[in-house]
Amino acid sequence: MTALLREDCATAATDARALEPLRGARVLVTGGTGFMGTWIAQMVATLNDEQGLGIELLLLSPSAATFTARVPWAARRDIAVIEADVRDIVVLPEGVTHVIHAAGTPDNRVHVMDPLRTMSVISHGTSAVLQAASRCDTPVRVLNVSSGLIYGPQPMGLERIPETHVGGPEPDSISSVYAEAKRYAEAETAAWRSTEKLQVVVARPFAFMGPYQGLDKPWAVNNFLRDALLGGPIRITGDAETVRSYLYPSDMAFWLLCLLAAGVPGTAYNVGSPEAITLGDLAGRIAAAVPADATPEVVCRPLGAPRPTRFVPDVSRAVSALGLRVTVDLDRAIERTLMWHRAVRDGR
Amino acid sequence: MSRLLVTDITLRDGNHAVAHQLDAHQLEVYAAAADAAGVAIVEVGHGNGLGASSLQVGEATLTDAQMLATVRGVLKNARMSIHVIPGFATINKDLRPAVEAGVDVIRVASHCTEADITQRHITFAREQGKEVYGVLMMSHMAPKEVLLEEARKMEQYGAEGVVLMDSAGAYLPVDVRDKVGHLAQGLSIPVGFHAHNNLGLAVANTLVAAESGAYIVDGAARGFGAGAGNAQLEAMVAVLERSGYDTGIDLYGMLDAADVCERELVQVLPSAKSTSIVSGLSGVFSGFAKPVDRVSAEYGVDPRDVFFELGRRGVVAGQEDIIIEVARELADGGRHDG
Amino acid sequence: MRRTRSVTTSPDKLKVAVLGSGNIGSDLLSKILRSDSLECTLFIGRSLSSRGIARAAAMGVPVSDKSIDAIVENPDVCDLVFDATSAMSHARHAPVLEELGKLVVDLTPSNLGRMCVPAVNLEEGLAHTNVNMVTCGGQATVPIAHVIGQVHGSVPYIEVVSQIASRSAGPATRLNLDEYIENTERAVRTFSGCEHAKAILNLNPATPPVDMQATVFAKTDAPDIDALTPAIEQMVERIRAYVPGYQLIVPPTIENGRIVVMVRVLGLGDYLPSYAGNLDIINCAAIAVAEGHAQRLRGLTRGESS
Repeated sequence: MTALLREDCATAATDARALEPLRGARVLVTGGTGFMGTWIAQMVATLNDEQGLGIELLLLSPSAATFTARVPWAARRDIAVIEADVRDIVVLPEGVTHVIHAAGTPDNRVHVMDPLRTMSVISHGTSAVLQAASRCDTPVRVLNVSSGLIYGPQPMGLERIPETHVGGPEPDSISSVYAEAKRYAEAETAAWRSTEKLQVVVARPFAFMGPYQGLDKPWAVNNFLRDALLGGPIRITGDAETVRSYLYPSDMAFWLLCLLAAGVPGTAYNVGSPEAITLGDLAGRIAAAVPADATPEVVCRPLGAPRPTRFVPDVSRAVSALGLRVTVDLDRAIERTLMWHRAVRDGR
Repeated sequence: MSRLLVTDITLRDGNHAVAHQLDAHQLEVYAAAADAAGVAIVEVGHGNGLGASSLQVGEATLTDAQMLATVRGVLKNARMSIHVIPGFATINKDLRPAVEAGVDVIRVASHCTEADITQRHITFAREQGKEVYGVLMMSHMAPKEVLLEEARKMEQYGAEGVVLMDSAGAYLPVDVRDKVGHLAQGLSIPVGFHAHNNLGLAVANTLVAAESGAYIVDGAARGFGAGAGNAQLEAMVAVLERSGYDTGIDLYGMLDAADVCERELVQVLPSAKSTSIVSGLSGVFSGFAKPVDRVSAEYGVDPRDVFFELGRRGVVAGQEDIIIEVARELADGGRHDG
Repeated sequence: MRRTRSVTTSPDKLKVAVLGSGNIGSDLLSKILRSDSLECTLFIGRSLSSRGIARAAAMGVPVSDKSIDAIVENPDVCDLVFDATSAMSHARHAPVLEELGKLVVDLTPSNLGRMCVPAVNLEEGLAHTNVNMVTCGGQATVPIAHVIGQVHGSVPYIEVVSQIASRSAGPATRLNLDEYIENTERAVRTFSGCEHAKAILNLNPATPPVDMQATVFAKTDAPDIDALTPAIEQMVERIRAYVPGYQLIVPPTIENGRIVVMVRVLGLGDYLPSYAGNLDIINCAAIAVAEGHAQRLRGLTRGESS
């Protein structure tokens, strides 16, 4: 399966020169053992092996100890794991030139189960990282990974949300704590940038589908994939007209590294796929990706009034500023993801 | 015409009415009749759900495995559902075997302010690809804002709908409108309502619930359920249909199933007796009716006094042990150290 | 395995460290400071800015943010360690502390060490270098279940039902109800000898917050209330020696064919609120174990020097 991931990364690295600023860099990734950290590691490993970029990666997370057991290919000299809580960072590890600050789980179950911890990790974690970065003698470039959720609900009439959209999460709801904390973290970023002239770029990720994304988080795409893997039927429990988009993580990793290398400080960039799809169609495409003799049916038993939502980014800023592209289309993303989950299930 | 999802809880809530003594024959004949009537979901189990057979809330005649196997063998179209309370049922001992027994629908319930405890069970049920709902019990005990927040947590955990239970039969129609309406507005998943008849309002409350935006409604044949019983399913279906809702249930089939229930399952037709009215007014779980009667008689105290004291102490469902403490205190005129 | 003897400032007191600077650790600290036989030589967390650490420092207790490394780097600092972190962390700490020859009292649900309910098996617990304090429901009901088992010879089934205040159950408790139930059932079976055990946990949100309360039910063919009553009363007194807030609220009685015993645990309110009797009873039990070690070692020292 590792070969599959390397292939994806090699394809996604459309313009090798874009990452020249990272040659020989020492990059700290907070939240480094999560979905994003794992793919950044895979991309760096691929680029180091194929193009000799010589990037050193430090993956920081409170559950770092189990990482190399879970992800055996990451046991290599250019990838180190640091077991620590991001909030406890006082000084950056020696020689760090770049930071990707991705700490803070996107698991919405944790957000409502432990909102205090969720907000603390994001707010205190961000200030700890920025404070530590500002004290370095040589300037450190920071990519603050925020979230597309900071825009609040996308107006149904707005096809894709641009970075300039002014909106916000519903303040009364317990399920808004993650988005509010990320908005606060963006404000912190701006404050540190202004006061200490820190070079911070902001990424606002939307939704992803790919290997290493656990199916346990109760998102529609995970439900569909899981149902398909269980042999179907694929049940649409939400509104079939809800619109989403999904970026494959090799593209995500390349985009994030490019933003780290060359994003304009003080600028926010949406990271996601502009290819919108309804949940109904998504379920159909996932069903179609299962071999013909075992294709599951798609079942939609809508209960209640239609309440579709939309969550699709406008990524023209990242695309035009940095020449970024989507190299894995949705059908290929579905195919690779199913292949990977089957391999994991079969112990390959 | 609005489509509603009707859950027939006769074989689960009804177990409360007979101290959880429903036997295999009774489960079979009723499940078959409900299935034939076009009921979408048939819920089966001990009154307090999976893994609840205990000295605390009563031991069932049949094991969970036996109940599930019996009903599974009979249903052709209806989906089989279970009620699961974390704290009583564990994933490894209870929920996993239930999934293996072919359960289709898993309704994970907590006291209405404690939705957090349902996370792992909802997650497990989802991972098995089952239809999963969250249930907030004793929902008269929290204001609508709190109920919405707890329901939102269940939504975040992956529940496909949240059912508000009026476990004490304490709701008035205005409460139903208020709470169901608030959740229907604030949640993106459907809301449900589960009525009890302690104040004689179960069917009417269910209609108001549907009018306030509920899409899931629970009922039991002949109202066969805890305390004064649930919304009488056959009447509820007729009322809903006449009011313009589509329940998917055939009226004659449902009436026949109710006759089966009365003939084969019911010992005493549920009614709003004095203690039921008092338990509804004091907001105590309807399932306490039998143990309160029994323990009150043992200690020579008025069961109505016991209910009001239990209500004052805010006991939640599953706390039948407190009945003994309260009865003793009343018997001793409060002399015992609490 | 290296055994170390710490350099002591008050030679009579056992040197103990607290690993975990949250609410449990902070409450433990208050109890240690009150103890005649224990001295807290290090209060350890992961961040110097934690409230628990700040409080300990203000109380004059040496603190560290180095987690287990604080002990690894200075093994002479203590002889006994209270681990109030998490099951996952304890799984990593346990072998390290074993290697260093430290006595360990584990307050996490890790289930690694020997289960210890002081009123029932303190002596046995003291013979192990790592003891686990089971669960709150376990500490409250196991002694009762044990006595029922002893009086009746063999009991087929014992059930324990606990009530705790909603506010005393944080995210970790709520996420781990199943583990709580399984650990409590195991303890009840082990210490009562019963064949089957069931544990039920109810969270009650009433305000003001309710005290912890527990009921033990037992099913047996020939219940002997006359023999049971004094035995239970004696056991309750044994528990009250280290859990002052432990009360018998319904003495042994037969109701509906079951033996019923009900107890209540009022917390001491040292750092945790007094309604959190469930958290307090584990801490009290942990202190009882440590003080037991202190007494045992004191006896050994005296024996050595005489």
